[in-house]
Amino acid sequence: MIINLEPEILQAVEKPARYTGHELNAVHKDWDGVTCHFALALPDVYEVGMSNLGLKILYEVLNSREDTACERVYAPWVDMEAAMRERDIPLFSLESFHAIKDFDFLGFSLQYEMIYSNILNMLDLAGIHIWSRDRGEDEPFVVGGGPCVYNTEPIADFFDFFIVGEGEELIGEVAALFSQWQGAGRPDGRRGFLKRVACLDGIYVPSFYQVTYNEQGLFASIEPTEPEARPVIYKRLIKDMDAVPFVEKPVLPYIDIVHDRIMLELFRGCTRGCRFCQAGTSYRPIRERSRKRLRELARRLVDSTGYNEMSLTSLSSADYSCLGELVDDLFADFKDEKVSFSLPSLRIDSFSIDLAHKMQQVRKSGLTFAPEAGTQRLRDVINKGVTEENLMGAVEAAFRQGWKQVKLYFMMGLPTETDEDVVGIARLAEKVAQKYKEVTGKWGVTVTISVSCFVPKPHTPFQWYGQVSREEFERRQRLLRSSIKERAVKFNYHEASVSVLEGAIARGDRRISQVIYQAWQDGAKFDGWTDHFKNDVWLAAFEKCGIDLTLYNQRTRERGEKLPWEHTTPGVSKEFLLREYKKALAGELTEDCRRGKCSACGVCPSLEAKIVDWRREHV
Amino acid sequence: MYKYRAEITKGEEIRYISHLDYAGVMERAIRRAKLPAAYSEGFNPHIKMAFASALSLGVISDAEYMDFELTKSLCQPEVFEKLSRALPEGVKLLRLKPVREPKPCKGKKHKALMAEVEEAEYELLLPMTEGAAWDSAVAAVKAYNEAKEAFVHRVTPKTDKLIETKQYMLQPVKLSMAGALLKLHMDIAITQTGSVKPGEVLELLAGEYGLPGDTGRVLIRRTAMKGQGRPLIDLV
Repeated sequence: MIINLEPEILQAVEKPARYTGHELNAVHKDWDGVTCHFALALPDVYEVGMSNLGLKILYEVLNSREDTACERVYAPWVDMEAAMRERDIPLFSLESFHAIKDFDFLGFSLQYEMIYSNILNMLDLAGIHIWSRDRGEDEPFVVGGGPCVYNTEPIADFFDFFIVGEGEELIGEVAALFSQWQGAGRPDGRRGFLKRVACLDGIYVPSFYQVTYNEQGLFASIEPTEPEARPVIYKRLIKDMDAVPFVEKPVLPYIDIVHDRIMLELFRGCTRGCRFCQAGTSYRPIRERSRKRLRELARRLVDSTGYNEMSLTSLSSADYSCLGELVDDLFADFKDEKVSFSLPSLRIDSFSIDLAHKMQQVRKSGLTFAPEAGTQRLRDVINKGVTEENLMGAVEAAFRQGWKQVKLYFMMGLPTETDEDVVGIARLAEKVAQKYKEVTGKWGVTVTISVSCFVPKPHTPFQWYGQVSREEFERRQRLLRSSIKERAVKFNYHEASVSVLEGAIARGDRRISQVIYQAWQDGAKFDGWTDHFKNDVWLAAFEKCGIDLTLYNQRTRERGEKLPWEHTTPGVSKEFLLREYKKALAGELTEDCRRGKCSACGVCPSLEAKIVDWRREHV
Repeated sequence: MYKYRAEITKGEEIRYISHLDYAGVMERAIRRAKLPAAYSEGFNPHIKMAFASALSLGVISDAEYMDFELTKSLCQPEVFEKLSRALPEGVKLLRLKPVREPKPCKGKKHKALMAEVEEAEYELLLPMTEGAAWDSAVAAVKAYNEAKEAFVHRVTPKTDKLIETKQYMLQPVKLSMAGALLKLHMDIAITQTGSVKPGEVLELLAGEYGLPGDTGRVLIRRTAMKGQGRPLIDLV
């Protein structure tokens, strides 16, 4: 079925170009000329979905296959959804405008927990059964991948299978397997395919497992029920970043999107070892692209897009071992084309400031640093290897270079946090403001502190830790507000209600899927958008399902407790995480294994992986 | 600097992008074409380019005009070829001419593109209201054409004002049938002090003069943009 949108719909909705496709570099294949039809979705609006680097990579990888057509779909905004529901228009793709239900796969990028309700909404709009067990032979396989696969349980019952880890090799294997199965006349039907795909490294088929709970109502075990299902699914990982395909011809939107620029991925992984950080454990180890390869990719990307902005993307881009040289190369290569470069995150040191100064030339748009905690004691707890001296040195360099705006990121509710740590955030921000006066001899600086509420995440050293309650978060927010005496300091904070809900879902088990379903039925969607987040709907959904959310967010887990996410793993061992948790409580630091001592996290041996660092001999 | 004027289209595929987005599309196309573009000064350099007149979201066009500057004088076929190949679906390069600046002894530079536009022509297609009589459509258009004054209420987040539309109508609105659709032709003046949009005139025709058409489903196409009675590309 091909969807044709009437002008009266498009004229009436906000930003109709979200739904009309035809972008440059979009791939249009003959529908009947391929065996595998793969729809890639991100359950948020076009501008967010189009900014996701992972999907751009997978789109090119899939479309490079002769047997596969890969198309895009994003969540229609509420106005478009209403128009579609009113006229019975099903969810459609942006290339061929086929109904999503006509595809063989619908793959969702799972970026964060608060977007789960949108997945259900998109399935419903597509006319696909919400629960995987209800899906018939003619419905697409619903696939999930991305950062949230390290605890898939809260959404396990909505998905046919998950891709755990880096997908650019695995997704091609899935497509090839599908073509083979299709060519063989779909032996054993839907279940037959799932049994075959479960044999690929990195694939998790949740319906092939049985979950049990103990007498206290806690998760007790998850056991395979099919011979093809493995007890533990390790993430897939790219060993050689230079050899693997990268984006070369990204789809170029006509309208402004969130990241409307080239994203050049320098490397994967970050082993600085911040104990709160899930990305830090899930993308290990560090694997850099070579300077030569990056230079080639940059050239191709500028040529294929015409963008004149490029972001040097990574978890901690300033850690790229040859960054100074790479920036020099890029400046030389693109001098005449007026391409500007940016780093999405800065390290707190003067090297970063000098680099930022060089990259921004004269425009001083504001600098962002993430000290994460207000006192040295707490920064040691989280293993943020940054001192007040580092920060003062960095801002001093920045103020000398002419910056007048500094943004500082902090988290509230970290393990062991006291009121002194909270007040410490205000004191640190004030010292930064005073540093400006000291350096320039005048006032006129703006120091913005942005404070989020800490959500403990699976596969991190804090995965056992009981999250702070909403009331307590709010008390600490008030305490911080009243502690700020300096007018130059601006205070931004996040709604605690969203974070405590995220805390429950992030460490949830399969029973949470009922809550997500209930909340969606009662109108939850776009929960990541402040204007659309309906806290009371969510709280009522927990109540209706008879599930106590404090059991999931506020409860500190026993060390020996079975955790519902351990069977899809990035490869870090539980012993390592436990060791780090203990060191955290003792305020002890752990070195970055990239150059320093190996902290025996377990990733390299369990995945046969190696650190790739061009400054250091490869280990 | 070497200036060129392009006659380009805005097609169905990009009907729903704004004027600003359209300008961005063209800027990126010039860069992909590897033309030696001239950039503005400042911290955030942009290609030196200008458009004749903004086109509303939802309106397509056979006749958009864009001036842009290069740092080298390239021959017309080379620029035409390179730019054509770099354009996305939805934009076609129809004609391209170098802008010849007047001899220095004659003083002034060539007029800015925006200052040259004097009129734009539009074609509007919309379904006739079910069961309505053709005669009532004819009568509505006739009444509007004969009116001395006809005001439309323009409300935007920034403005709320009454605009007299007839002063901008260079020719009477023409009505014809195209299959089952009503087809209107409008020739509208664009002046330094203002203009009116074809959609606004349609709103007036349907709302106040009883044109029996489904305005929610109208498709509007700009068919020409002129100065001194000639297409803007012929003024250079």
